[in-house]
Amino acid sequence: MMAEHTVKAFDEDITRLRGLIAEMGGLAELSIQEAMESMVNGDESLAEGVIARDKKIDRLEAEVDKLAVRIIALRAPMADDLREVIAALKIAGVVERIGDYSKNIAKRVGKIEGRKHFEPLTLLPAMGDIATEMVHDVLTAYAARDPVLAREVIATDDKVDAFYNSIFRNVVSYMVENPATISSAAQILFIARNLERIGDHATNVAEMVHFAATGNYPPDEDR
Amino acid sequence: MVTVVHPNMEKADAKMSARDVSVYYGDKKAIDDVSIDIPTKYVTAFIGPSGCGKSTFLRSLNRMNDTIPSARVEGEITLDGEDIYRSKMDVVQLRARVGMVFQKPNPFPKSIYENVAYGPKIHGLASGKAELDEVVEKSLRRAGLWAEVSDRLDDSGTALSGGQQQRLCIARAIAVDPEVILMDEPCSALDPIATAKIEELIDELNGSYAIVIVTHSMQQAARVSQRTAFFHLGKIVEYGRTSDIFTNPLEERTKDYITGRYG
Amino acid sequence: MSPAILLVLALGLGLAGWLAARARAWTFRRDSATGRIAALPNYHGWYVALWIVIPVLLFIGLWSIIAPQLVTQSVLAAPAASDLPSFGFQRNAILSEARSVAIGNSSGVFNPAAAALVEPYRDALAKFNLIGVLATLIIAFLTGVWAFLRIKPDFTARTRVERAVMAILLFASLVAILTTLGIVVSLVFETIRFFGMVSPLDFLFGTHWGPDPMSNPDNPDPSRYGAIPLFWGTIYIGAIIAMIVAIPLGLMSAIYLTQYANPRLRAWIKPALEILAGVPTVVYGYFAALTVAPAIRDAALAVGITNASSESALAAGLVMGVMIIPFVSSMADDSIAAVPQAMRDGSLAMGATTSETIRRVLVPAALPGIVAGIMLAISRAIGETMIVVMAAGAAANLTGNPLEAMTTVTFQIVAMLTGEGSFDHPATLSAFALGFVLFMVTLGLNFVALRVVKRFREAYE
Repeated sequence: MMAEHTVKAFDEDITRLRGLIAEMGGLAELSIQEAMESMVNGDESLAEGVIARDKKIDRLEAEVDKLAVRIIALRAPMADDLREVIAALKIAGVVERIGDYSKNIAKRVGKIEGRKHFEPLTLLPAMGDIATEMVHDVLTAYAARDPVLAREVIATDDKVDAFYNSIFRNVVSYMVENPATISSAAQILFIARNLERIGDHATNVAEMVHFAATGNYPPDEDR
Repeated sequence: MVTVVHPNMEKADAKMSARDVSVYYGDKKAIDDVSIDIPTKYVTAFIGPSGCGKSTFLRSLNRMNDTIPSARVEGEITLDGEDIYRSKMDVVQLRARVGMVFQKPNPFPKSIYENVAYGPKIHGLASGKAELDEVVEKSLRRAGLWAEVSDRLDDSGTALSGGQQQRLCIARAIAVDPEVILMDEPCSALDPIATAKIEELIDELNGSYAIVIVTHSMQQAARVSQRTAFFHLGKIVEYGRTSDIFTNPLEERTKDYITGRYG
Repeated sequence: MSPAILLVLALGLGLAGWLAARARAWTFRRDSATGRIAALPNYHGWYVALWIVIPVLLFIGLWSIIAPQLVTQSVLAAPAASDLPSFGFQRNAILSEARSVAIGNSSGVFNPAAAALVEPYRDALAKFNLIGVLATLIIAFLTGVWAFLRIKPDFTARTRVERAVMAILLFASLVAILTTLGIVVSLVFETIRFFGMVSPLDFLFGTHWGPDPMSNPDNPDPSRYGAIPLFWGTIYIGAIIAMIVAIPLGLMSAIYLTQYANPRLRAWIKPALEILAGVPTVVYGYFAALTVAPAIRDAALAVGITNASSESALAAGLVMGVMIIPFVSSMADDSIAAVPQAMRDGSLAMGATTSETIRRVLVPAALPGIVAGIMLAISRAIGETMIVVMAAGAAANLTGNPLEAMTTVTFQIVAMLTGEGSFDHPATLSAFALGFVLFMVTLGLNFVALRVVKRFREAYE
């Protein structure tokens, strides 16, 4: 879509940087999905896989950092190139956090008892789906340098917040009615909290995608 | 096509203004309908690919194009509101007010002292030897060269290193106390250390003089200037704050040029 | 006749060698695996051709010197030569008469003694011509074969030809230098002979010049050989009057041409000035003697100076100055044009006017070149002969009055050499001493000028 740089190696560096971010995002997205799946099904081996994957995301982040610093030092990027590299640097950090939250969810899989008849659990998958979709969309927006899609992602965050509030109320009233399951129910609250944070971070990424593409942050009414 | 002027630029007093300026070399139009305000207290950088007319435009600001027989300037260029191309304008006075530093250091084959004293002498700015000494010392100090040459003012200016020669040329230019200093790629013949010293000097002179610098190095423009104008094919494509031009240019051609996608 | 034949022979052999070697190199190239050999076939051809032509030419040069002597010797050995007169002059006359008949330059002989020698001469010439041709062939064959055998696919013929070319060019440049040296040597010998008769001190510091070619050559009067009036005349006409005309005019025209004239005008004026340099000096001489000198005399009379001579230092000096203008102006033009444009721009950008720029920057920067130009012009002026011969007069006056006749070193050299004195008379020899002094002075001026120009070049490049 964009004209090539006179120095071809610069294009290769940028392409590689984008590839790393896409790979990180793909892994993070998969982690949220699998964490939620293991949560619903009590599949601890799947949860183990999510925890192991976080290491890989961390390594990718380190690689993005190194490459971005190298591009800045050697290529002296300007204008949209500079924004692109800076955004990549920040997005990598945020995606790494998303990975951490997924890991956090996966770690709680073993802590929920009486999964079959545990009503609050049924509230989570829908919220997880929305969070996953946000991450998915924001990565698509990044790949396409699409500020419009990025702003849609930002708008979706309200839904996640609404979900979180409703789950909070539901779980608290459940806790009042069933004091015996209070520790499991608390876990549900934490998971919902993690999903809500994932949504916030996806929003952050969307803002950076918007910045990289246009040079400006999205207007305040969107946030 | 009209110049894109960034809307968020603060208003600044214009020291020099160009309105619909075109410069011809014979039949060739080197500058095509350029309008720009050069602010009083900033460094303005002209960037653009070779042959885009930025040097030509710079030279029309102190009428150095007059020395080229085939050159012709149309439009209006003002200095403090006075048209510098009006017939009554004294070119000698104009050039004393609008000094120039060239691409290649060009000290005269005279002593360091005589190089700096040249301008004050021809304009009668110093009434005696003592006063002239003072002007020379002050100019050399401002140019950051005093410490290096104070004990050998009688040596030839051409015996200095390239970077020192260029600072000598800057000292020579500021010795006549100009209001505007034009610099035509002043560092293109210098090594990075000498370049850094010149850039530091430009930074220090900033505020005292309106400075216009033509440069091929975008990094240099980014480092020393507060305003940047991007020239392309004899026109100013975009003019704005340097920080905006280099992070978020509005025009596709500017972006392609500064990100290295030009041509 | 015979050297010409040999020369054609040599070139023919060279061509043959060239073709043979080239053909052989082509076969190398065809046979080699890569299709590449160390040098192109042509270079192999040139290598062999040079090896044939150069030794043969050297031989021909040598042969054309020794062959006539061998011929003469063999003729003298013939029985018909036994009754030749033993006295050198007559004997040589007979021999050369016989020889010219033998070669075919003249049809008959006057001297019967010579007639008898024609036949032996013919025989000897034929014999030695044959020997010459055979020797040429043998030498060409030997060197050619030797060179041909050295050709191999990896033979670096190209670099060797390059070296040969360099040697030939070096030889060409040595010819000029050696000629100069020869001139100096011959001058020095004659000068020493002259100084053996007249003391150098009398010559260099005496103030009266009036050599008498008819006087007794063995006992010259040293007081008549004082050259100071000549030196003064030379300097006064060539270095003072001429320069007073040439320096300002030349410099100003150079400044006008480089700084003010528009290119179209410059394109006319500069060649016109150069044409001035190409006018034969004898034409200037006419002009000085027939137009300028009488005009000056009339002008002098008009203002009341009655003793003005019709031949004057002023006339010669003025015309010489005009003649020198192109020298000064083109050297000054070059050196002003060589001052970088940046220097000029720098001064103009400081608010200096064009004339301030010229005065304070351009001329000082170009000064070494201008000075060098003036020195060359002076050395040209003092060596100038024709104008002074025609317009300055012959009287060796030691005076500062430009309206009087004066004479110069060059004039006196002409006068002494074309005078009636015998060749070994001190008056004639004094011409060599004068020439030697003139040579030393111009050499010194040129040397200084070149040094100055060199320093100037270093400053800007």
